[in-house]
Amino acid sequence: MKMCVAVTLAAVCALPVAVAAQDDKKPFVQARGSVVPVPLPPGGPPPRMSDGHVDLSGVWFPGPTGKANAWSVLPEQRAKEDPIPFQPWAEAKYKGFSRVELELGSANVNCTPVGTPGMFTDNAYVHQIDTKPGMLIHLIENNNRWRVVHTDGRPHKKPEDLEPLFNGDETARWEGDTLVIDSISIDERTWIRDGWFHSDQLHVIERLRRPSLNYLEYQFTIDDPKVLTKPWTSAWITLSLGHEDLTENFCTRNENVDELKKLLDIEKKK
Amino acid sequence: MKATAAITLGLLVLLTSSSAFAHHAFAVEFDATKCSDITGVLTKVAYENPHAYVFVDGKNAAGEKVPMTFQLSSTSNLKRGGATFAALNGSVNKEVTVRGCLSRNGTDDRYAASFIKLADGTIQRVGQDVEGIFGTKLWR
Repeated sequence: MKMCVAVTLAAVCALPVAVAAQDDKKPFVQARGSVVPVPLPPGGPPPRMSDGHVDLSGVWFPGPTGKANAWSVLPEQRAKEDPIPFQPWAEAKYKGFSRVELELGSANVNCTPVGTPGMFTDNAYVHQIDTKPGMLIHLIENNNRWRVVHTDGRPHKKPEDLEPLFNGDETARWEGDTLVIDSISIDERTWIRDGWFHSDQLHVIERLRRPSLNYLEYQFTIDDPKVLTKPWTSAWITLSLGHEDLTENFCTRNENVDELKKLLDIEKKK
Repeated sequence: MKATAAITLGLLVLLTSSSAFAHHAFAVEFDATKCSDITGVLTKVAYENPHAYVFVDGKNAAGEKVPMTFQLSSTSNLKRGGATFAALNGSVNKEVTVRGCLSRNGTDDRYAASFIKLADGTIQRVGQDVEGIFGTKLWR
């Protein structure tokens, strides 16, 4: 039975990918690069650091395959989540963005910092995480961004020492096998995701856990009393262990802003 | 049996989790209903981010040379999909065919490319499946 499954998987993984398509586009179905996603097995228990906490270190790809899925042959779907509890004025503003305005406000379109929690919520690319007792180092390939977080449960800076930062003032603690990152004082120019703006009162709580060797899970809670009626918590997002290096990815040729502005002009004339 | 269950579970995870959404929505800037196969001579590869570009001298209806710009995905996605700089650059000054979808903003001859047939006959995926060729049409 195991052999049968292995053979089936191998056939599924083989490229070119043979799937149905309209006749006029048939040649492109033979394209190299398309991926039929095959989820990784759990792989055993997670490793632990010398202090006994779970070691979150690894190269982590979004999704369950341990590799890039940008050109998956399966559709992307977002997990079910509760509606965002916007205050009425904030909901009106959020729903009032056109699709072009959403693009033009995006950190990724503008090549500006994605901030916290954007390194997870506004990033389609691979992560590298290195944990050691007392510290987490988080790199993302997307525009070569990074952050370093103390995980020893230290308090936030004193209010008089805080300044607006894209990643905020971050501190982390362990709750069992879950690392909880607590961030405040986050620059208002960032979005939570997809046009979800925030105030200077934003408080982000991120949770990271590694239930098995091959999987990392991420969840975040947003508390923003100037924008929301109550705190909101995301679904758990799955990432999986890859075995390749991050590659250089600097934003050096950004044509989209100017092109989208032309589109915005057309939109305004309608 | 265990393996089958693990795979089913894994696929379930795939369908109920996500952070793999695109750098940004191609469908806003490009029209997935105005796509065509465009053949011409590849003149330059700009292997940069957030998007790589290939430049192709195509022809208009009168047979005149027309410089065309095709936006590809990021170098991260291209490399991992096999469309390396060397693979693309090897076709410079040679004939290629690009599946391109026209820009919505009126800029002449600017397209988003989803596939490219290189001079050696290989077809590389270089962008999002905006036409739903694989059934993966963008949801936004």
